[in-house]
Amino acid sequence: MSDEQLLRRVEHMARARGLDISPDVVAEAVKRVLTELGESPGQSDDASMGSGKLNARRDFPLGAKRPDLVRSASGLHLDEITLEKVLGGKIGFEDIRIRPETLEYQAQIAESAGRPFLAANLRRAGELTRIPDERVLEIYNALRPYRSTKRDLLEMADELESKYQARVCAGLVREAAEVYERRGRLKA
Amino acid sequence: MDVSKEMVREIILEVLRQTQDSKQSAISEEGDISPLQFKEIGKAEPGATRHEVVIGLSPSFGSTMTKTIIGIPHREVLREMMAGVEEEGLKPRLVKVNRTADVSFIAHEAAKLSGSGIGIGILARGTTVIHQKDLAPLQNLELFSQSPLIELESFRSIGRNAAKYAKGESPSPVPVRSDPMARPRYQGLAALLHNKEVQHAKPDMASTEVAVQL
Amino acid sequence: MAKRQKRFQVLADRPVNKDGFIKEWIEVGLVAMDSPNDPKPGIKIQGGKVLELDGKDRDHFDMIDTWIADHCIDVSVANEAMAIDSTEFARMLVDIHVPRSEIVRLSVGLTPAKVLDILKKMNVVELMMAMQKLRPRRTPSNQAHVTNLKDTPALLGADAAEAAYRGFSELETTVGVGRYAPSNALSLLVGSQTGRPGVITQCAVEESLELTMGMRGLTAYAETVSVYGTDQVFVDGDDTPWSKAFLASAYASRGLKMRFTSGTGSEVQMGYAEGKSMLYLEIRCVMITKGAGVQGLQNGSISVIGVPGAVPSGIRAVLAENVATVLMDLEVASGNDQTFTHSPIRNTARMLMQFLPGTDLIFSGYSSVPNYDNMFAGSTHDCDDYDDFLVLQRDLQVDGGLHPVTEEEVIAIRNKGARAMQAVFYELGLPAITDEEVEAATYAHGSKDMPDRNVPEDLRAIDQFMKRGSTGLDVVRALAKQGFNDVAEAVLGLLKQKVSGDYLHTSAIFDTKFEVLSAVNDPNDYEGPGTGYRLEGERWERLKDIPQAIRPEDV
Repeated sequence: MSDEQLLRRVEHMARARGLDISPDVVAEAVKRVLTELGESPGQSDDASMGSGKLNARRDFPLGAKRPDLVRSASGLHLDEITLEKVLGGKIGFEDIRIRPETLEYQAQIAESAGRPFLAANLRRAGELTRIPDERVLEIYNALRPYRSTKRDLLEMADELESKYQARVCAGLVREAAEVYERRGRLKA
Repeated sequence: MDVSKEMVREIILEVLRQTQDSKQSAISEEGDISPLQFKEIGKAEPGATRHEVVIGLSPSFGSTMTKTIIGIPHREVLREMMAGVEEEGLKPRLVKVNRTADVSFIAHEAAKLSGSGIGIGILARGTTVIHQKDLAPLQNLELFSQSPLIELESFRSIGRNAAKYAKGESPSPVPVRSDPMARPRYQGLAALLHNKEVQHAKPDMASTEVAVQL
Repeated sequence: MAKRQKRFQVLADRPVNKDGFIKEWIEVGLVAMDSPNDPKPGIKIQGGKVLELDGKDRDHFDMIDTWIADHCIDVSVANEAMAIDSTEFARMLVDIHVPRSEIVRLSVGLTPAKVLDILKKMNVVELMMAMQKLRPRRTPSNQAHVTNLKDTPALLGADAAEAAYRGFSELETTVGVGRYAPSNALSLLVGSQTGRPGVITQCAVEESLELTMGMRGLTAYAETVSVYGTDQVFVDGDDTPWSKAFLASAYASRGLKMRFTSGTGSEVQMGYAEGKSMLYLEIRCVMITKGAGVQGLQNGSISVIGVPGAVPSGIRAVLAENVATVLMDLEVASGNDQTFTHSPIRNTARMLMQFLPGTDLIFSGYSSVPNYDNMFAGSTHDCDDYDDFLVLQRDLQVDGGLHPVTEEEVIAIRNKGARAMQAVFYELGLPAITDEEVEAATYAHGSKDMPDRNVPEDLRAIDQFMKRGSTGLDVVRALAKQGFNDVAEAVLGLLKQKVSGDYLHTSAIFDTKFEVLSAVNDPNDYEGPGTGYRLEGERWERLKDIPQAIRPEDV
């Protein structure tokens, strides 16, 4: 994650929680915390180390141009997923799921192609890879109108954050809680 | 053929054409059919018996509008639908859903009120849904979304199937007619009718149980 | 009238006069793109936050205003973009000297009313010029509907195989009976990969079920994720911008491509347009989509086409909404997917608006089955129009995504698609598909030519299939076990795409070797004559070679 993105997320979360602080204050605070933690912001994975982010021209499509980076959720490379292995029962459905790192790489590619909105969605998606199908469906249904109280939504946001480290998604849910309350879309 | 015969023939053809046209043309406004005499029983409550199917009526059904988009009187629609339910040995119960003119939500409300968990929702123009209380509002057991294609007989089958679901059976779905040309002919009109019906929805008003003499 | 004028009598019987036309009804929003109730463009920004949007201050924002202000509008370019005169901006859209990238950069600074104001300045030819320049992917393409009245699987498999073989890059199905959905999804998956590996498939049903089938690998993408332009209709659609944005991320988190769906007229059809024009409300949908970070949108009125189709300038508004979508750098699947007229003349005129400039998916989709079998209630063009369509491509040298085929080839591929379905049903323990069904599906025109199946038995088996937790991998195994190794490889190839996520990018489709073609590696570079996509070379040789053309040497 770049400094700028980190800043944006912090600002966004602050907003979602109803804090109105100036960007400068946020920038200062982020810098301080990072120094304290003794690390610079940025992904710890292999893609954004060294020369930095992936690039749309150079690295896309990932499957063809950076097969080294693409692994399934269970750690398999694409060329390890073969019909023989499927038939031999060596590959299950878990082995053909996307992993969060891949979504981060695709987000970087989207950004370098000038699509920050798509990148943000892919990063939220990266967070959701850690959540089981059932729970994802439940959260989606809970976000539909008149399904949840404000408290339900806030608890769900806490769960997203603490249990699944899904911070951006948690921010989205908190924002929903606030808007639904204001526009009368909470469960009666 | 002399002139007068020719003229008579022309007139007959013209009259025939006109009746043909009026048969085909949709009825957008309240025609000469009188409204149904609903008796309000009170606020609709969840039913206790599993032997019922609740039929949810839209805000204008049988009152400010009296026939479907192809001119079937609401009186006959209800008669058939209720007869269909009764044929299967169950009791139909009528509920007027006041808060919305959305057929899915009307049907879902009916299902939630129904002791069997099965409800039917119907709009004034004829759009109909069979619903089950445990489904999401926009899911359905059976959906009849194209109001111009629902004939009188279908309403009896819909009632019958709803009752079968209520008894825990899995009936063959009522055949859905498909006519791609219904849209170009009726969709604009359907929008017009719907906007009129929506004006009668009262978002804050609970549903009312009603009875009617057919 | 006592006596009819004979020409008027003839006119009265013309197909176009079976269509329903209505006069504008402004108060409820039965108006295409110009309502006095549409707001005036404007924005006020303070401290990096939108305080006022199109004349409404933040305290009065509804859900959609809030979403657009906080998630779609880029405050760093808003003042610059909003300061450009609308006529000037409209000219930039058609000016070959203003590159696409510059338009896209500015577009996220526009408010909904401003976009409306710009598009209102343009006639249909100018809108087509804008489409040609702004669609994200350079190569145009096409999508097909594959459905039938009986939801009968052998026919769906055969039809999907034929549609894929004819050149469509996406196939969409839906159901007559809701509980058939997984079976239909399965049929398209198998049929499509039989016809042409790399074609992606979807099944349009209720949102949670649609997502479940995607998660299981029974579909490869989703499209029927609807958004609406007023709060009330959004809520009647049982969602909010927040639930839909979450859903969008849920799809991506399973490596599935998806786009939203919206369309002019849906709000007024559902009775809550707040007196606003159809196009203004649709532009809000486009911006909701953009803000959710979704790669694309299906619009062009879609299932509501009879509504804009009934009012003045409605079909122009439909093209304008497609343009609003590409203006925001979103993939557009541009409608033409619903019957809206009895008149073949009107029908084709409406389709040319997207066919001529080319869009990411010109139809969404074209009915690959006879319209009586089309469970989306018919498309503008169906399988009986294939030859007309191929000739239009040839007449105008325009690539509509299809290519000529022979009867022998189609019989062979349909048969293989139906047999592959028979094999999969057998292996997965679903009620048998008989040899008689395979034969009928191979030669069928539509479901009228198919024997009936035992529907309750099918439905019970399909429920079981879902309860067992079956996935796309089970389909791969079933195909291979029954000797359909090539189809098994293709289905596995499709499943593997969800691991790399390359097709999550804007306007992504696959070629036969599963190489992705998207706005990232095939960006639209149109800058006037001599640039952009041109139908030429090998592709043109293939498209112009219709079997019914007489060869000079044969005469």
